[in-house]
Amino acid sequence: MLAKIKTSVSGWLKESLPVDPEIFKEASAEPIPNHMKKWWFALGGSPAILFGVQLLTGILLAFYYIPDPDSAYDSVAKITNEVSFGWFIRSIHKWSAHFMVFAVIVHLMRVFFTGAFRKPRELNWMIGVGLMITTMMFGFTGYSLIYEQISYWAAVVGAEVAASVPFIGEDIARFMKGGESVGANTLTRFYVLHIGVLPTVIFMLLGLHFYLIRTIGVTELEFKVDKNKEKKTFPFFPDHIYTETIVALVITIILVFMALTFPAQMGDRANPFQTPDHIKPEWFFYPMFRLLKLLSELGAILGTTVFVLLLLFWPFVDRLFIKKNPNSNATIWFGIAGVTILVAFTIWEALV
Amino acid sequence: MELEQKRKIIMGMSFILLAGLMIVGYFEGKRHFPDGRPAPIIDSRNKKCVGCHTEADNAKTVGEQWKLSVHAQKGVGCLDCHEAKEGEDSDGFSHYKNFIATIVTPKDCARCHKKEFEQFQASAHSTARKIIDGSEEDFLSRVVQGHAKYGDASTVSGCDQCHGSKVEFLRDEAGEIALDKNGIVQLDPKTWPNTGMGRINPDGSMGSCAACHNRHMFSSAQARQPENCAKCHRGPTHPHDELYAESKHGINYRAHKDELNLNKRKWIVGVDYTAAPTCSTCHMSATPNQEITHNVGDKLSWVLRDPVSMKIDEKEKSLGKNGLPAKKRRENMADVCNQCHIKQYVRNYYTQLDNGIALYDNKYGIPAQKIMDTLKNEGLITKNIPFDDEIEWIYHDLWRGEGRRARMGVAMMGPAITQWEGFYELAQTFYNEFVPAVRKVIEDGKRRGKSSGASKAQALLNSIMNSAEHKWYSGQIDEKTKAELKK
Repeated sequence: MLAKIKTSVSGWLKESLPVDPEIFKEASAEPIPNHMKKWWFALGGSPAILFGVQLLTGILLAFYYIPDPDSAYDSVAKITNEVSFGWFIRSIHKWSAHFMVFAVIVHLMRVFFTGAFRKPRELNWMIGVGLMITTMMFGFTGYSLIYEQISYWAAVVGAEVAASVPFIGEDIARFMKGGESVGANTLTRFYVLHIGVLPTVIFMLLGLHFYLIRTIGVTELEFKVDKNKEKKTFPFFPDHIYTETIVALVITIILVFMALTFPAQMGDRANPFQTPDHIKPEWFFYPMFRLLKLLSELGAILGTTVFVLLLLFWPFVDRLFIKKNPNSNATIWFGIAGVTILVAFTIWEALV
Repeated sequence: MELEQKRKIIMGMSFILLAGLMIVGYFEGKRHFPDGRPAPIIDSRNKKCVGCHTEADNAKTVGEQWKLSVHAQKGVGCLDCHEAKEGEDSDGFSHYKNFIATIVTPKDCARCHKKEFEQFQASAHSTARKIIDGSEEDFLSRVVQGHAKYGDASTVSGCDQCHGSKVEFLRDEAGEIALDKNGIVQLDPKTWPNTGMGRINPDGSMGSCAACHNRHMFSSAQARQPENCAKCHRGPTHPHDELYAESKHGINYRAHKDELNLNKRKWIVGVDYTAAPTCSTCHMSATPNQEITHNVGDKLSWVLRDPVSMKIDEKEKSLGKNGLPAKKRRENMADVCNQCHIKQYVRNYYTQLDNGIALYDNKYGIPAQKIMDTLKNEGLITKNIPFDDEIEWIYHDLWRGEGRRARMGVAMMGPAITQWEGFYELAQTFYNEFVPAVRKVIEDGKRRGKSSGASKAQALLNSIMNSAEHKWYSGQIDEKTKAELKK
């Protein structure tokens, strides 16, 4: 009886969904190199897990959020204070956003320090850098939506920085703000970017990222302990899925802990006529913000642009080092110096 | 470079990044809420209340103060305290679709603060109204000082503001509770506004938490400061504030108030602060060995407010209450003292205290009380109307004024008040006013034909004045004292 039902259901499926089931089998049996059993090398999935959390909690928050200057703050307050578990969902969304940026940076560091961006994976590295910038844009637009004093003024500063881009800065800033000042139009634009444009972009980039990982494969790195092993790979399903499940569980525990211990709270309502003592963007813009204070606005823009371009095209810069010396460690030393400077600038900005 | 080394670099850099972000989180968290105060949580139930009561001419500060309170940060709003139950709360009324009461009683606070409520209800603080109801002090205030015709003004604005009123309502002609045009219950101005410590509330509970925890910020830091207690604990008959101010404790408080971490949640002496003690430190707050208590008698071994001092457990027994033994309470207080002083210091202090109390009781308190009882029992002065004889005023000053100042002065280590406003004035009143007044009453009694009573009183006075404590007054000074005087 059961076998009969199974046959008729699979027959119906084959007819209505003409996709060869072998594809799924093949996809799930993808061989994964042994080095990815090491936790530090299995973190590439964590930004994707966090993105899933963002998507889910973001949809729930959007049910109540009103992107209007008169109602935005109140709607966030309502989510925080009145809606059942609203405070929890908002807190998870907030912490997951922070962790997502952190996870993207850690993943990027892993790829950078192991030279996994080298040929033929240059394009995928560049897509990865694009994903990092998109994630940061998510952070910037989402933060401003709260419409509390500190987040409002972060948007103002963001627009001012954009305005200092040579030639086209003023136009970019006006486009961002939807006028001469941060107001109703800005909020609508940031909202559309946050829940429409950026998710589309990130889905496309993620799709490409995964596609290239699958078609080109991940860089095979071999630890000393794995050298004598006969089997150089392990299957995606169930082994790697199992690892990722553990990563997802640990992330969930940390997120819940942070949401319960440090729940998202409400600052003062945004007041365009009162500049607060401390105007700060989100932490991942601190190095740039520090640069802004050290140099002129143009200097900061140029510095950041040079940094981003260097990061984006590093696979080609690295090639120059390798050409000179195939065993060159220049990339690693540049990486250490880069991370140290970024962390130092971030702490410096927090202290002042 | 080996892959193993690269792995270590990735780990190291990740941890540096994480540590950096934690530093950022710490500093930015402080900046986001510069005074450590998150924004108030105003839920839908309280939104309307806060909306109106943050407007000018409508008790604006009520809402604004609440917004600064820990209650607001935790989402404890107006209705959580002011909500009343229909059929249960006689002072409840309908107000914008909510059934509320103006007065928040300790019973209301007990919905969340049960332990504090129970401790407070067991304390002498909560019975501050009960103990003076129908007492000589009540008569002094209402009849001797004032008159009912003027709304008991001296009592209502004086004694009752500390001891508490018995809250009553204005009534209409049918005897029903009167309401104003907005339907708000009208409280009798003879009984409210009042935040007296022992207020008797419409729900039967005693006291007012707002006596110490001022509305609507309910700040612990404010309640811990001596100025808070000084609303009532000052003046000639209970000069605790003045005594504290002149003691080393008070001097240190004024000099180091900023170092007391008054906003700490538990505020444990020796842990959270060391600079000075306040009233709260000794009588209520936590030590490393004791939890905070809202029963201010838990660390007191003596009751010094009566004409003759009593051990606190004996006093409580006489009132039908059953609290901790006095010895245990003294140990509790010694534990507080020991956080700053060595054991010998504390032991010797308690010897000084007991000696001071024994001196007052045996030299002045007990003899004067015996004389007053005799004068009344023998009909030499009226028995049932206090303060209609001059000697009653003198006796009142003797024990309630100088007598208390001397005893409380010793207890609270205020030397100047102990000496010049305490024992010196005690002796002056006793020898120059009380004894001559007793003699005058005896002479009057003889003239009025009450010679038997007068003789009894005279014999008692003679025995007191010939006792070891008083015989110096008639020139009977022993050789040892004479020799000491010559030095």
